[in-house]
Amino acid sequence: MNAPLSAAAAAALAASEASLEALEHEAIAILWETFGAFERPALLCSFGKDSLVLLHLARKAAQPGRLPLPVLHVDTGHNFPEVIAFRDDLVHTFGLDLRVALVEESIQRGTVRLAHADESRNRHQSVTLLEAVARHRFDALLGGARRDEEKARAKERVFSHRDRFGQWQPRLQRPEFWDLWNTRHGTGEHFRVFPLSNWTELDIWRYIEREGIALPPIYYAHRRAVVERNGRLVPITPFTPPAAGERVLERSVRFRTVGDATCTCPVESTASTAGEIVAETLTATVSERGATRMDDQASETAMERRKREGYF
Amino acid sequence: MQAVNTPSLPDAEGPSAPLTFITCGSVDDGKSTLIGRLLYDSRALMADQLAGLASSAFAGTATDGFDLSRATDGLEAEREQGITIDVAWRYFATPRRKFVIADTPGHAQYTRNMVTGASHAQAAVLLVDVTKLDLDAPEVILLEQTRRHAALVRLLGLPHVLVAINKMDAVNFDRAVFERVRDAFAVLAGVLGLPDWLALPVSALTGDGVTCQSEHMTWFDGPTLLQALESLAGGEISAAPVSDVRAEAPAWLPVQWSLRDSDIDGARWYCGRLTEGTLRVGEPIRALPTGSGAPTATVVALRVAGHPSAQAQAGDAVAVRLDQPLDIARGDWLTTAAAAQLGQRLDATLAWLDAAALVPGRPVLLRHGTRWVMACVERVTARLDLAQAAWSVDHQPIAANDIAAVHIEAAEPLPLGTSVRHARGRFLLIDPHTHATLAAGVVGQPFGDTLASAERVRREWAG
Ligand SMILES: Nc1nc2c(ncn2[C@@H]2O[C@H](COP(=O)(O)OP(=O)(O)OP(=O)(O)O)[C@@H](O)[C@H]2O)c(=O)[nH]1
Ligand SMILES: [Mg+2]
Repeated sequence: MNAPLSAAAAAALAASEASLEALEHEAIAILWETFGAFERPALLCSFGKDSLVLLHLARKAAQPGRLPLPVLHVDTGHNFPEVIAFRDDLVHTFGLDLRVALVEESIQRGTVRLAHADESRNRHQSVTLLEAVARHRFDALLGGARRDEEKARAKERVFSHRDRFGQWQPRLQRPEFWDLWNTRHGTGEHFRVFPLSNWTELDIWRYIEREGIALPPIYYAHRRAVVERNGRLVPITPFTPPAAGERVLERSVRFRTVGDATCTCPVESTASTAGEIVAETLTATVSERGATRMDDQASETAMERRKREGYF
Repeated sequence: MQAVNTPSLPDAEGPSAPLTFITCGSVDDGKSTLIGRLLYDSRALMADQLAGLASSAFAGTATDGFDLSRATDGLEAEREQGITIDVAWRYFATPRRKFVIADTPGHAQYTRNMVTGASHAQAAVLLVDVTKLDLDAPEVILLEQTRRHAALVRLLGLPHVLVAINKMDAVNFDRAVFERVRDAFAVLAGVLGLPDWLALPVSALTGDGVTCQSEHMTWFDGPTLLQALESLAGGEISAAPVSDVRAEAPAWLPVQWSLRDSDIDGARWYCGRLTEGTLRVGEPIRALPTGSGAPTATVVALRVAGHPSAQAQAGDAVAVRLDQPLDIARGDWLTTAAAAQLGQRLDATLAWLDAAALVPGRPVLLRHGTRWVMACVERVTARLDLAQAAWSVDHQPIAANDIAAVHIEAAEPLPLGTSVRHARGRFLLIDPHTHATLAAGVVGQPFGDTLASAERVRREWAG
């Protein structure tokens, strides 16, 4: 997998290199602002690559002291077991103050009602998330979303205001001038804060490589049972069995994003290190979410609608 | 007056520092289409994103089967109405440079979002739609929104402006049209004091002059838009926020947060992003506005992005440990400057962006650095009349999207900078009850000579 890079790819790599330092300083300053301007901030973490880069930066920002905020995991119950094992290890190693918000509990409370038993729980996470915000009285949630992921996210502020109902109002976003962030808010309102706003997928992998950040193993090439569906490879899990007549294949794959197991697809790959993934990213012809997310494909506005409801 | 000003051109080889630029200009001038074209022609759109453009339910004017403006108009309402409402951020790289693009809305109602994008940019691509201008008039008059955006770009201190004279395909790529519009812009640029600008003929729709030389405009011997963007100097300022990074300047650090050292008992670190100058271990430092006397402490350790370091430079996220405990908190500035002026009264220029008009005398919250203080706009000294491109003293209220020269009194003294080039020269005004952001403010009066003379008129009028 170590094919020489084309001149254009090598240049893109050099350009990413040149901007990595500045992106790191920017992200840390956003973290400090969150630590300093809010009373009860938390760090949202899916234990996917962007969340883990964010957690790494937050720990750097807190040097030489302790991470000053809890980590919140919204758990749909439909996980890749490798990710949960990784989470539990990391909580132990870093001594994280982990709070888990279970979609299952929202279902039991009756605040989440599934249309049918095996409906994807991805969209319902917003309810569970907002319940956790209310219960813990969080006034800021740090998240690893990036503007280059998706066109609604490309419109997002760094400090993004949420009203009392947790809603994002894309037509009425507060302006954001320089780094003089307006973090003022009324009771019951909160902010979503995105320190990785200006990072691209390539920047993330370059940083993971440079900093040696540990990730769940499913980010690297491994053999997995999948079916081909609508041009994507759908992983076979207890929550996503093959449909009648579908042929189960075993392929060497890796995940470009890791979310709810019912809507995240891997891509074919033999890349087994961050450096090899950097090389693949440079020549990718399909975007990160395009290749991997079933939830965005439902309609052109799927992400915007979820975000308005309070999604990440 | 010189019609075309040459921007500080290239250092020819190797990748340059990343550049953040905005596209701005009046409604429908083709900003989003231009960005789509730039991304499409530099192969920065992925297969699934292209498929999205082609299948868009609202696909309007098509190029190669795609509506290029849909590459950035990402909100449902934007696609329904065919306009841009809020800034879209896009990232792409050519072999020469990595770019961050902020595609901003042209609609006057969404000027606040244009200012949002511009406050993070080092360069502006200002579009002018040739089909909207009366080319038969003795003097070409640019649209009000074009003038407003040019003035805002100047107010925010963006060092470079590329004037993309667009829709040349609709006027047969006529050289005379380009030159008339360019000359009209030259007058405006002179009045506003835009330091560094270059006009380029393009067609966002057909791609002429965007990433490749136009065979329809062989009369133009300047660079393509992409070449111009690749060669703009960007080194002396940092992208977000635009700020002076000269190394020899005294250090200024707005304290964002402080933390307790988990190893050294009682030791505290003060954290923030260095906005100016260089900070070194061993240097004497003081805190403002509280400790305005002599230096009171010495830097004993620095951490840059978490790592121990002997010095930090402008733009760095830096944590500072001092040799003695001082009463320092979020909102203070740490500085090595020998003499710093603290001011409580300031002459400033505002981009007023609230829907309601400015009410002089009403208390507002002012954010300067990391400090929030009560303040009040005591009086408006002049309003920028965009039609005349001159200060006006007509006593009209300052309405949404006006630019105004004002006098402000703050409740506490602040270490104010002298211009928008420094973080200390910028501030926000916020409604203390609704928390809405009312205005972006800049210390001083940044416009050129013509406006300065109107300023004299104002002074005479003010007595
Ligand atoms: N003939 C011609 N039409 C163009 C050109 N560039 C853009 N247009 C058309 O002008 C219209 C407006 O284009 P947009 O790109 O949406 O304009 P905009 O400046 O982004 O508009 P706002 O963001 O709403 O201010 C569309 O119908 C485009 O197809 C051009 O070079 N030539
Ligand atoms: Mg537009």
